[in-house]
Amino acid sequence: MLTSVCRGILRGAVHKLRTRGAPLARLLCSNEEDIVGLGDADTIFALSSGQGRCGVAVVRVSGPASPTALRCMAGLTHSLPPPRTALLRSITDPQSKEVLDRGLVLWFPAPHSFTGEDSVEFHIHGGLAVTTAVLQALGNMSGMRPAEAGEFTRRAFQAGKLDLTEVEGLGDLIHAETEAQRRQALRQMSGELGRLYQDWSHRLKRCLAHVEAFIDFSEDELIEDGVLNQVDKAVVDLQTEMERHLKDERRGELLRSGVQVVIAGATNAGKSSLLNTLCQRPAAIVSPIAGTTRDVVETALDIGGFPVHLSDTAGLRESPDLVEREGVRRARERMEQADLTLVVVDSALLPCDAEQGAAFLQGHLRSVLSNQEQPETALPADKCLLVLNKSDLLPEDGRQKLTGELRRVSGLPPICLISCHSNEGLQDFLTVLHSRVKTLCGNPLSGAPTLTQARHRAHLQQCKAALAQYHRYRDTDLALAAEGVRLALTSLGRITGRVGAEEILDIIFKDFCIGK
Amino acid sequence: MLIKKLPPLQSFQLLVSRPASHLARQQYDVIVVGGGHAGTEAAAAAARVGAETLLVTQKIHTIGALSCNPSLGGVGKGQLVKEVDALDGLCGRAGDWAGIHFSILNRRKGPAVWGPRAQLDRQRYREFIQSELLGTPRLTVLEGSVEELLVTEPNPEKPGHHRVTGIRLANGNHSISASSVVLTTGTFLSGSLFMGQTTSPGGRIGDAPSSAGLSHTLRERLGLRIGRLRTGTPPRIVKDSVDLSQAKLHPPDRHPTPFSFLNKNTRCKPEDQLPCYLTFTTPGVERVVRESLHLNCHIQQDTKGPRYCPSIESRVLRFPGRRHQVWLEPEGVTSDLLYPQGLSMTMPPDVQLRLIREIPAMHRAEIRTPGYGVQYDFVCPTQLSPALQVKSTQGLFLAGQINGTTGYEEAAAQGLWAGVNAARWALSMSPVILSRTESYIGVLIDDLVTRGVTEPYRMFTSRAEFRTALRPDNADLRLTLKGRYKVGCVSSLRYQETVRVKDNLQEVLEALQTLVLSTPSWRKKIVVSLKLGLCSKFLCAFFLSGMDVLQYNDVSFEMLASVFPECLSPYMEFSQRLKIEAVYRPLCDLQKKDIERIQKEENMSLPLDIDYFSLPVSLSQEVREILDRVRPSTLGAATRLEGITPAAIAHLLNYARHTGQKERRMHRNQLCARNASLPQ
Repeated sequence: MLTSVCRGILRGAVHKLRTRGAPLARLLCSNEEDIVGLGDADTIFALSSGQGRCGVAVVRVSGPASPTALRCMAGLTHSLPPPRTALLRSITDPQSKEVLDRGLVLWFPAPHSFTGEDSVEFHIHGGLAVTTAVLQALGNMSGMRPAEAGEFTRRAFQAGKLDLTEVEGLGDLIHAETEAQRRQALRQMSGELGRLYQDWSHRLKRCLAHVEAFIDFSEDELIEDGVLNQVDKAVVDLQTEMERHLKDERRGELLRSGVQVVIAGATNAGKSSLLNTLCQRPAAIVSPIAGTTRDVVETALDIGGFPVHLSDTAGLRESPDLVEREGVRRARERMEQADLTLVVVDSALLPCDAEQGAAFLQGHLRSVLSNQEQPETALPADKCLLVLNKSDLLPEDGRQKLTGELRRVSGLPPICLISCHSNEGLQDFLTVLHSRVKTLCGNPLSGAPTLTQARHRAHLQQCKAALAQYHRYRDTDLALAAEGVRLALTSLGRITGRVGAEEILDIIFKDFCIGK
Repeated sequence: MLIKKLPPLQSFQLLVSRPASHLARQQYDVIVVGGGHAGTEAAAAAARVGAETLLVTQKIHTIGALSCNPSLGGVGKGQLVKEVDALDGLCGRAGDWAGIHFSILNRRKGPAVWGPRAQLDRQRYREFIQSELLGTPRLTVLEGSVEELLVTEPNPEKPGHHRVTGIRLANGNHSISASSVVLTTGTFLSGSLFMGQTTSPGGRIGDAPSSAGLSHTLRERLGLRIGRLRTGTPPRIVKDSVDLSQAKLHPPDRHPTPFSFLNKNTRCKPEDQLPCYLTFTTPGVERVVRESLHLNCHIQQDTKGPRYCPSIESRVLRFPGRRHQVWLEPEGVTSDLLYPQGLSMTMPPDVQLRLIREIPAMHRAEIRTPGYGVQYDFVCPTQLSPALQVKSTQGLFLAGQINGTTGYEEAAAQGLWAGVNAARWALSMSPVILSRTESYIGVLIDDLVTRGVTEPYRMFTSRAEFRTALRPDNADLRLTLKGRYKVGCVSSLRYQETVRVKDNLQEVLEALQTLVLSTPSWRKKIVVSLKLGLCSKFLCAFFLSGMDVLQYNDVSFEMLASVFPECLSPYMEFSQRLKIEAVYRPLCDLQKKDIERIQKEENMSLPLDIDYFSLPVSLSQEVREILDRVRPSTLGAATRLEGITPAAIAHLLNYARHTGQKERRMHRNQLCARNASLPQ
């Protein structure tokens, strides 16, 4: 009771002091970084509408800080709007006070919302710049963080807001969202940025291992006192690098947006021809020589109004050629990151009999496309389309019959018979492709790179703040200092993958001689 | 409270040296096999819970023997001792009775990782444990060797599932029946001893090997997966032959800190404590190791040893060209021996002598008993439930080295918990589980049963993700109250003491919260700078409570008490705990949400006999295989398995919710049916 009164007084005092710029202000103003990341960042936000050219984008916020978000962003200083009623407001960035957009805001007080918590929706214009700006502004507010895969649904589930059938689908939904996010994260992570994060993670692991070794073993064992000094320096370096990275407004890499479609298959199946046919220009070199395409050829397309990022890849085969081997590696990497894979097969190779044909295709999916390290994991059927190319080489009467029969075989991905040479079947193929792309775009999480980026940013900020804790307790309480490094590693681990206690012990035992 | 006087040991010997057929009863609730650290804790705990308990051991004389190092506690291990004590176990009080050199390790690294540790007098430790067992109601001790574990034929409805019915003794073919059996065979399960090029069966030098029957039952009849591990012990050195002037003196703490929450003092007076000595290996040691490798069977074997080096051989081989520490530790007040910690070795005795004489302080040293290595069977602990019961065999509990751990403290912790659950099983009470969010014992058991072991498992503080909450100072608050009401293993004496402590702490914490002053007035009153080194968000305020002020490095509870004597001075005995609480509480509050989430998941149990391959939910084959192999007993355990996806967890969560109620009902019926079928 008394403390709450004091806090009230305190708030007043802080306000006065801040306005007067009293010398004590330094004592009173908390370092904001300390609070971000250490407090329970419990309010989540996400872009809930799909990507692509939609007129309106919906950003959903859920959790205790959502009314604050609404007040700050929609300039509602006095009162919240009536529940569940759309209100047209200017959306502003609370930090820069810059007007980002004009859009509808809706307020759903608990428990009458999707998640059962206080929720807010921003209906804004669908352009990339606007949504990015709004998501970033939300991410900069304290107590807010981007939603993890399936988190809205999980909260709804926990609040008992889902009916039984929905609950049963929850696992699959989370799976789909996790997969989509994983692919999206992979895209962001391959390349420079990924290497940077991995390097940080590696260095942090060593820091933690060395602090832990000092805690658990230094009294009994010979662990040089210099170990901690090295950690001090490593932590400072990491902080500086992260700081610089977070301030870098250029963002490093261009985001690959749109649905990621990869053309893959054995050599000489006509993959590059398919690319050229789709983009209606000779973007890739085609020749009868197997292994013509060695690197990934990329092009941006518009399919029925949806943005598609199309990549042609090297033909998959074992090759002694160093360059070609690298091409095949890149091809597999792309397939791993793809939303949709177009598997191109030379239909002249197909046995005429439908049953044998199906077996051939299944074998093909397993043997040619599967990863060398995990030979038994075939591409999931919902992630690919089978494109049987060179239909002009098949006898005319057999074409319809073959595809008809093959389509009835269960377990095979959808099949399209086309000829890049004569353009036969192309229209049907485009219809199928269009509907798949449309479905993929409809999934709000399938590839919103801005959200992934916002999430990375939030985790990095938490990581940096946690490292400050290391310094704060370094000399007084090493257990609490170690906790800071551990927290930092957990935050970074949300980008680069979880780090378990065993991994830390591995490093300890590798670096130090620990007796019994 | 003072340490109580020990009862005379003679009556103890008289009580138990009768032949087995003269035992007062032929049927017990719980039989504990083995009298080491796990066995003694298990037997005592089972009896405390209320079970008629029989402890069977090969030699009564070696009950409570410290087979290896004469010390208890340390970083991580000390936490386990405090927790065992908080649950009214023996080892903490035994350590206070037998300790001859007390120190708190990591004193300067923060109270969460302080490691209470003591050098022990071997004889006093044994005496204490033996007399404690004698004074424990419902507990009988029997000298004998167990030939066979008696189990029922497998349940026809559940192939491979057995139930324990008792044991058969080696001499006289005598059977004793029991509802639960706790096996704590240590290194004796198919143990073999290694020294130089000779190998002999056994688990400890000077003791007979245990019978092969037990090992056979576990492996063949129960079909348990068995692995093999190794360990070792150093030679014992004659104290007078060591030139201690060439070693560095390492004194104990000036004021010994007892392990037990019940003790204010240790038996050993501060000034009577004995020192340890520190010395180092030389290049000569490395040379002797390398020259004698061909004479050293143990080190040539590829049986899994720990990554942390157990023997001087593996230390110098893995980290050549360095000097390694060797601690010379006293073995007891009257003992004429020193224990060279860090010199565990398995070479022939003459080479051992040559090796130790390469160390300057020991250049004329004599060896009383040579070091040797041990290899032994262990049961892969993923086959156990978190109650330490073998999943496929009702009533069979395992604890200690048989589960792949190393160390007295790890053994004692498991022993206590296995004893508690064995008794509860026998008395038809539901199993109790300790969470890794509330105790190191929980971390230990969860790691064992969900991750398994690939090397002898030893406790480190870095294994506990909530280390800042699981401190040695608050083990009583974490465990004693639960131990009294939910577990039933805590005496009323200890319970009352903990309640007193808890009430007092609560009062004084409230008092500290309500003492609110402005920062300048605090400065004036306690005359310290209140440097902003230790800044959490609370400390940035203009008004500070006593609790906030206590967080500062340079403020102690004594200072506050001198300013507010009327309301604070009655609580001086808690000054250290209060200081720790003030510093840690804000950080622990931040972890509360994580802890609650984990606890919620841990409360969702998954039936042990789910057929994961036919479970009607969408799980990948890979996930099904992992689940089938490990059989996590709770949703929480499942989330910690590698390769389990969030989606799989969501599916399991649904399944657990749907079936949880049904399973619980079935379990109750099962228990009732079993009790009805037991012979009265």
